Amino acid sequence: MGQKRFSLMIALVVLVILAQIGVVSAQKVTLTYWHGYNPVETRHFEETIIPLFEAKHPNVTVEAVAVPYDQFYQKIIVSIAGGMVPDLIRADLAWVPQLANLGVLVPLSKEMVDFEVYKNKVFPGTLEPNFWAGEYYGLPLDTNTRVLFWNKELFSAADLSGPPATFGEFLQYAEILAELEGVWGYAEGGTGGWNVLPLMWSNGGQLTDDEITRATGYLNSPSNVELLELLVEMLERGSLGPSILGDGFSTADGYAQGRYGMIIDGPWMVSIFADQYDDFEAQMALLPSGDGGSVSVVGGQDIVVFEGSKNKEAAFDFIRFMLQDEIQLSMAEVGQMPVIQHLEESSYIQEHPFYGIFFEQMKTARARTPHPEWPEIDRVLGNAVTRVLMKELTAQEALDEAAQEIDVLLQ
Amino acid sequence: MDGGYYRSKQVIAFLVPALVFFLAFNTYPLIEAFRMSFYNWNIVRPENSQFVGLANYMKAFSDPIFWTSMKNTVLYALVTVPAQMALGLLVAMFLNFNLPGTKVFRTIYYLPVISSWVVVSLLFRYLFNGEAGLVNYILVDLLQIFPSYVSWFRNASTALFVIMLLGIWKGVGWSMVIFLAGLQGIPTELREASMIDGASSGQHFWQVVLPILRPTMGFVAIMLVIGGFNVFTSVFLVTGGGPLHRTEVLLTYMYYQGFERLNFGYGAALSYILGIIIFVISVIQLRLFQKPVEM
Amino acid sequence: MKKQSFWSRTLIYLLLLGGALLSTIPFLFMLSTSFKEHSYVFELPPRFIPENPTLSNYIQAWTWNNFELYFTNSFVVSLVTTLIVLIVASMLAFAFARFRFWGKNILYYLILSSLMVPSMMLIIPQFILAKNLRLLNSLPGLVFVYVAMNVAVSTFLLRGFFESLPRELEDATRMDGGGFFTIFFRIVLPLSKPSLATVTVFTFLFGWDEFVWALTAINQQSRLTLPVAIHSFHGAHQTQWGLVFAASMFAIAPVLIAFVLLQRHFIQGLTSGAIKG
Repeated sequence: MGQKRFSLMIALVVLVILAQIGVVSAQKVTLTYWHGYNPVETRHFEETIIPLFEAKHPNVTVEAVAVPYDQFYQKIIVSIAGGMVPDLIRADLAWVPQLANLGVLVPLSKEMVDFEVYKNKVFPGTLEPNFWAGEYYGLPLDTNTRVLFWNKELFSAADLSGPPATFGEFLQYAEILAELEGVWGYAEGGTGGWNVLPLMWSNGGQLTDDEITRATGYLNSPSNVELLELLVEMLERGSLGPSILGDGFSTADGYAQGRYGMIIDGPWMVSIFADQYDDFEAQMALLPSGDGGSVSVVGGQDIVVFEGSKNKEAAFDFIRFMLQDEIQLSMAEVGQMPVIQHLEESSYIQEHPFYGIFFEQMKTARARTPHPEWPEIDRVLGNAVTRVLMKELTAQEALDEAAQEIDVLLQ
Repeated sequence: MDGGYYRSKQVIAFLVPALVFFLAFNTYPLIEAFRMSFYNWNIVRPENSQFVGLANYMKAFSDPIFWTSMKNTVLYALVTVPAQMALGLLVAMFLNFNLPGTKVFRTIYYLPVISSWVVVSLLFRYLFNGEAGLVNYILVDLLQIFPSYVSWFRNASTALFVIMLLGIWKGVGWSMVIFLAGLQGIPTELREASMIDGASSGQHFWQVVLPILRPTMGFVAIMLVIGGFNVFTSVFLVTGGGPLHRTEVLLTYMYYQGFERLNFGYGAALSYILGIIIFVISVIQLRLFQKPVEM
Repeated sequence: MKKQSFWSRTLIYLLLLGGALLSTIPFLFMLSTSFKEHSYVFELPPRFIPENPTLSNYIQAWTWNNFELYFTNSFVVSLVTTLIVLIVASMLAFAFARFRFWGKNILYYLILSSLMVPSMMLIIPQFILAKNLRLLNSLPGLVFVYVAMNVAVSTFLLRGFFESLPRELEDATRMDGGGFFTIFFRIVLPLSKPSLATVTVFTFLFGWDEFVWALTAINQQSRLTLPVAIHSFHGAHQTQWGLVFAASMFAIAPVLIAFVLLQRHFIQGLTSGAIKG
C-alpha cells in the first residue's frame, strides 16, 4: 500500500516537472527557415537581419539554412516526402504553384489576418505568382530580372564602344568578340526557361498561348526555330560558350576572368564579383532589343509557410518583418531588389548605381508559365534545347516534339 | 553438444540484438518495397495510393531511360570488373617479387580505396573539366595526344568513360591487396618444382598459379560485380545521370524517380528489378567459382 | 632461386612508379587546389604549386558553416555505429559459429542474400519506414540504419574467424561449468582482436563516408554529416573548388593518418576472410 502511494507521488512530481518544461518550452519558439541565399547574401542575412528580428521577438530563434540553390528544389521534395518540412522557405516563384497544388502550403490570404495590408504594399507583378486556386499561398520577398552584363575590357580590345542595343548587334558583337584569343562572345548557364526565354521573347517568340492551354503553334513557331538555329551556329563557331551545355567555365567566372564577353545575369552577381574578384567592375545594360522588344524574365522569391509548421503565428511575424521597408532596403544592399512599391521612389533606389537598369528591364519582363507542372515543362524545354545544341535534332523537330509534350502537361 | 555445436535456448540472446536491426531495416523494407511496387504510391497521403498491379513493371519495360540505365550498369560492370582484376593481379605480381619498397607501394595503391566516394567523384569532376581541367591540359598541351580539349561531360560515352575510369582507379588497390595475399600464400616450392620440370614463367603462371588463385579470383569477381552494380555516388556526383539521363545507372534512375519525381511505387519496382538481376548474377557466379582445385 | 634480371627489375619499378603516380597525383592536385584562391582554381596552365597560396579556403570551410559540427556528427555517428555493430554482429556470428538452432540455415541464407543485393536498393522503403518510426532527420536514426546496413557483412567476417578458433579452451571452460556468455566474453572475443579490428575499421569508414542515406534522411543543417556537407559546397552553377577541396581534406586527412598507422588491420583481416572464402 505504501508503495503504491509512493509511486503515485513520484508520478505526480514527474508530471508537474514535465508540465513546467512544457510551459517553458511553449514560450520558446524555433523557426526553421530555408533560404537559398548565396554566401554573400547569407552573411548579410545572418549578421544583420536575423539579429534584428530576434531582438524584436525575443522568444523566437530563427534557424536559417542556406541551401545550395541547385539542390534546393530536390531538398524540398524529399522533405515533403519525409514529413520533415521546415516552417518557412524562400521559394523560387516558379515552384509555388506546384507546392500549392500539392497541398503543403498555408494559404496566407486565408490565415494571415493582415494579408490585405501586405498584398497592397507589393508590386502586383510580384504578387501574382503566389496565386493558386483562389488563394494566395505566399508573399513576394525579393524580385529580380536578368540584364546584359558586358565585359568592358574585352569590348575595348575588340574595338566595340558599348553594349549592343539591338538583337542584330548582339549577334554581331558576339562574333567580333569571339575573334579574340580564348574568348567566347556570349555565354549562358543552361538551357532551361530561365536561360532561354529572355532570348526567345526578345526575338518575338512565345512558349504558350496567353491562356496557357497549348504550346503547339507557339513554342515551335518560326521565330523560336530561328533563334535555336542561331544558337547552334554560334556554338559551332565559337561565339557561344560551352557553359550552356554545362561544361567549361561557369558564366560568372568566365565573365569576370575575361573569357566571356557577354552574359545575362541578375543583380546579386555584383556583390559576388566584388567578393571574389577584387579589381573587376561589372557593366550592365538592358537586353538587346529584337522583334519582341527587350524582354527579360521575371525572377524572384516568395516566402511561403508549410502546413506542417507548428509555429504559424511566429512564421507570419517573420514574413511581416521581412516585408518592412528597412529590411527590404537592407537586403537590397546585397542585390536583393525590394518588392515594396513605394520603395522604388526611395532615395536609396533612385541613387543606386545599377538598380535603375533592373527596374527598367522589369517594366517589360515576363513571368515563366505559372502552372503546377512548370518544373516538368521546364525540363522538357531544356532537354529540347540541349538536344538541338548537341545537334541530335533540328530545331524544328525538337520544338515540335517538346510542344506536343507540353500540350499534354498543360491539360 | 551436437557434432561440435551447442544446442541451447540461450542462443536467442545472441541472435536477437542483431536480428532486430537486420529484420527491421533490411528484411522488412525488402518485403515492403515489393508491396510498394504494385502501387501508385502517394507520399503526401499514402492512404490514397492506388493499386496498379504490374503497371510499374510494365512501365519500366517500355521506359527508354530504364533500358539506358540498365545498359550503362551492365557496361560499367563489364568494363570495370575485369580491368580491376587484371590490373590488381598485375600489380600484386610485381609486388610479390618483394622488391624493396613493396610496403610503401602497397600503401599508395590502396589510398584511393579508402578515400571517400564523395571526395573522389568531385575531384574527377574537377580534373576532367572541359575547358581548364588538368586532364585536358595534360592530354592536349603536354602530351599532345589529342588535338583539342575534350568536353568529357557533354557526351554520354565520354562521360561514362570518366565514370568507369574513376571506378577502376578507385578499386584497383583493393583487388591488388587480396591477390597479393593470395600470391604470398603460394608456397615457393611449387615454383621450384615447376623449374625442375622445365616450365617457363608463363607456363608456371597459367598452369600453377592461376588455378590456385581461382577461389580468390572468384571472391574478388563476385565482390566487384556486386560493387559494380551498386554504383551510385560516382554517377550521381560526376554527371548526375546526365546529359539528358544518358549516363544513368539503375540506382541513380531509381533514386531520381523516387526522390525527384516522387514516383515511389515506380522507384520500388525499379529497385526490385535491379535486385533480382544482381541476385541471379551472384548465384551464377557462386556456382562458377566454387569448383575445387586439384593440386 | 633465380633472381630477377636487372632490366626486368627496373621495368617493374618503373611500372610500379607510374601506377603509384597515377594513384596519388589526383590527391596531390586536390591538395594544391585547396590552397588556391577562387580565381586561380581554373587557371591555364594549371599549376601544382599555387602562385599565391592561401589558407582562406581552410578557414572559411571550418568556420563559415559550422564545419566542426559536421565533423563531430560524422565522428559520433561512426563511433556509435561501430560499437553497436561490434557487439551485435559478434553475438550473431558466435551464434552461427557455435550453435545449432531451428531456422539456422534459413537465417544464414537470408543474411547471405542481403549481401548480394545493393543496400541502396532499399532506400525508398527504408525512407518510409524511418519516417513512420520518426527516425528521419535524426542522428540516432542514422545510426540505426547504418547498423542494419553493416550487420550482415560484419557477421560474415566474424563468423569465419570464430569458426577457425580452436575449441579446446571453450571445451575446458564448459567442463568447468562456464556458461555461453563466459565463453563469448572471456575466450572468443579476446582471441578475435584482429577480426574485430577489421570490423571496426570497415564500419567506421562506412559511417564516415556514407553519403546517400545521410543526404536523403537528414534535413536539418545542424545534423549533417561530412560527406553531405562537402557536397553542399559544390553547386552546379558555380563551385568554389578551393573550398570543396579544403573541406575534403578535413574529411580525408584523419582517415589517411589512421590508415597509415593501422594498415595491418585493414589488410590482414580483409585478406584472411577472402582466402578462406
